[in-house]
Amino acid sequence: MSELLHFAEHRLQETALAVMASVYALRLVWLFRFRAGRDRQAPTGSRPPAMARGLLYSWLNVGMPWAMESTRTQAGLYAQFVVFHLGVTAAILLSFVIPYAPHWLDSRALVFGFEGVIGAAFVVGLMRFYRRLSQPTMRAISTPDDYFSLALLTVWFLLAVLAAPNRPETNEPILLAYFFMTAFFLLYVPFSKISHYLYYPFTRYYLGRTLTHRGVYPIRRGPASAAVEGRRVLAADAHRRPERSPTC
Amino acid sequence: MLNATPVRSQKAARVIDRMSKKLNRQIAGSLAACVHCGLCTSSCHYVQTNPDDPTYAPAYKADRIRKIFKRHFDWTGRVFPWWVGAASVYTDADLEELKDVAFGKCTNCRRCSINCPMGVDFATANRMMRGLLVSVGVMPEGVAVVSKDQWEIGNQMGVLKEEYLDTLEWMSEELSAELEDPTAVIPVDVADADVVYAINPREVKYDPRTIADAAKIFHLAGESWTMPSEGWDMTNFGLFSGDDDLGGAVARRLYEKVVELRGRKLVISECGHGYRSTRCEGPNWAGMDVPFEMESSVLTMLRYIREGRITVDKSRNTTPVTFHDSCNNARSCGLYEEPRELLDLVVTDFREMYPNRSENYCCTGGGGAMSMSEYTPRRLKSARVKAEQLAATGAKVVVTSCHNCVDGLSDLIRHYKLDMQVTQLVNLVATAAVVPARVAVPAAAGRPAPSLAGRRILVVDDEPDVLVFYRSVLEDHGATVVEAADGETALALARREKPDLVTLDLSMPGTDGGMVFEALRRDDTLTDVPVCIITGRPELRRLIYDRAVRPPEGYLDKPVDDETLLRNVRKILEVT
Repeated sequence: MSELLHFAEHRLQETALAVMASVYALRLVWLFRFRAGRDRQAPTGSRPPAMARGLLYSWLNVGMPWAMESTRTQAGLYAQFVVFHLGVTAAILLSFVIPYAPHWLDSRALVFGFEGVIGAAFVVGLMRFYRRLSQPTMRAISTPDDYFSLALLTVWFLLAVLAAPNRPETNEPILLAYFFMTAFFLLYVPFSKISHYLYYPFTRYYLGRTLTHRGVYPIRRGPASAAVEGRRVLAADAHRRPERSPTC
Repeated sequence: MLNATPVRSQKAARVIDRMSKKLNRQIAGSLAACVHCGLCTSSCHYVQTNPDDPTYAPAYKADRIRKIFKRHFDWTGRVFPWWVGAASVYTDADLEELKDVAFGKCTNCRRCSINCPMGVDFATANRMMRGLLVSVGVMPEGVAVVSKDQWEIGNQMGVLKEEYLDTLEWMSEELSAELEDPTAVIPVDVADADVVYAINPREVKYDPRTIADAAKIFHLAGESWTMPSEGWDMTNFGLFSGDDDLGGAVARRLYEKVVELRGRKLVISECGHGYRSTRCEGPNWAGMDVPFEMESSVLTMLRYIREGRITVDKSRNTTPVTFHDSCNNARSCGLYEEPRELLDLVVTDFREMYPNRSENYCCTGGGGAMSMSEYTPRRLKSARVKAEQLAATGAKVVVTSCHNCVDGLSDLIRHYKLDMQVTQLVNLVATAAVVPARVAVPAAAGRPAPSLAGRRILVVDDEPDVLVFYRSVLEDHGATVVEAADGETALALARREKPDLVTLDLSMPGTDGGMVFEALRRDDTLTDVPVCIITGRPELRRLIYDRAVRPPEGYLDKPVDDETLLRNVRKILEVT
């Protein structure tokens, strides 16, 4: 392994991570400078609302495609979301495995696993890019940061797939490209839309808190909403109701 | 040559300054967190009816606000504005564009908010933007008019205290007559009542039957109840305009009246935004903890039936009905199961609408849209989603627990020519309520209806069928009817016949109803002739109420049935 690759795998990554963590900390300070709203209304329901359950529902919402119409009815997009984010997780994991546990990659199965997951994410990245460019609505809501972040991740996935076998003796340029790209990714993320996951716990907390307090979360659907989503519904379903305690 | 920094208008500067005070962590998080994934797009009824226009997409609309936020409050937008789509507002024209989005392309229904994987609550951010625009006087005319009425007169329809009390007295008399029971009255300002009942001014102005129906239910339940003489409006235009000061003042007015009366519980009549404003948002805007319980009348009625305080016979409501969930009730207050439980008790044929509950589509008249006539074509176009939903149920009646939805649904039903009526739960419960023996009306003991003999009524409408209907109903009850099919004829006949009452359509070719109305009021010989507006286009109300003349004595929404027509005509003519 060259000194440059050693630097890219260790010092560069550690520095980039430290910068990212610092900027994230500043981001959180910035967010917390805004006052939190207070809800004075009496809780909905004869009993105190199950706040913990509602918050959990809100936080886990993204993992429950049945919970929102937007994910129920756009299963393809949801599947893309899952694959894409699994790819991000795997590519980040790989950036730790290569420098700190390279022997893991002696297992061909694990290498195939990384290649498969990240490769699928690369394909999804291309699909997402096509969608963002081809759909007028997506173009209208896209900023340069949206395009660049997506392009950055997609190229990074490709490099991660190629780097996964971890063969510095034959493939050092790819490994160098992957680690420099990872460092750039870590440095760029806090300034870009990719940092959305930092806000996720907060946005979903506040929405979940309000909607749980008001008896909306967890969302209860009518028995046959599926009718409008293209699935067949038995007429008998129309008489079933979800169980619910009295409110107010 | 260097580009000069654009000069910012005073209003634009104020909007940015006030934004810093309005932003809270929830809104800031929502504005920072959007990833432009586009998943929310299809959840909006405006998008579904304008699929080729990306400016209706919730994320696009949110970006109009987000770009200002990023430019002034998020340091990435300050340093790299172009890169993250940050931009400021400089001119009044920029604010007008924001107005068009915040008021004209969104009903704040919150459907996109519950469909956002990130939990971005665009509706809350949009309400904030509305409030900022209102604070600098940039708003649709209707919003300004209604807000002014609620600030100055105390209710959003400018109902005067005398008019309100007169209507309560009238409905009280109707109730006593219906139940043949002199104790069946509407109590006003009774201290220490268990229930203080607050209503929507629309009930006084356009739908007083709902007051009588509610009074009937309270009476049959043996409730200790009262209505306040002041502070009785439970609606709150602050929710729609985003004006927290108005919201707080209106809510406080009602809360203080309940405290003054030492009421134990405030029951809120069926109104989505009224319920949300009074029960949920009001305490926040008013900055006070409310020392009494508040509930929707839907829950009150349900409890009366469950506790056996009133008995209902569902076989009196056999027409197929469906239920429309108000956005404010279902999506912001969790009130969606109880109306169905109540319907199950009072109707025989309930047909669910899809999607429903908190996933239901807006009536398309929400967020104050009914008062913004400049956006009516947009609203009615977007209403196609709702019309298709309604038609798919096969029901003949759509029930809703919201007066705003009643207007929105009525309008789209007319526009899309659906064979449906709109009603509220209180009407169905009152119809199904069994009057116990102690207040039973013997079948043959009904009083003869007061005659309209000797009264000359000029009916004005450009639809021949409507004229025939009015004539037959009114003549059957003794009135002498004169007809006019256009404005010019109406004025000529009014001057010649000197009628005791004019019923007036608003939308007519040539001289429209608004012009006829003003001409009648300004004619010294006709200025005292009472006028009852009967229109199928509620958005044209402003043709009447914007005029600097005395308001009409009556107002009815089409379609109008014979009972409603007669009741209102008798009331205006004081025939009892």
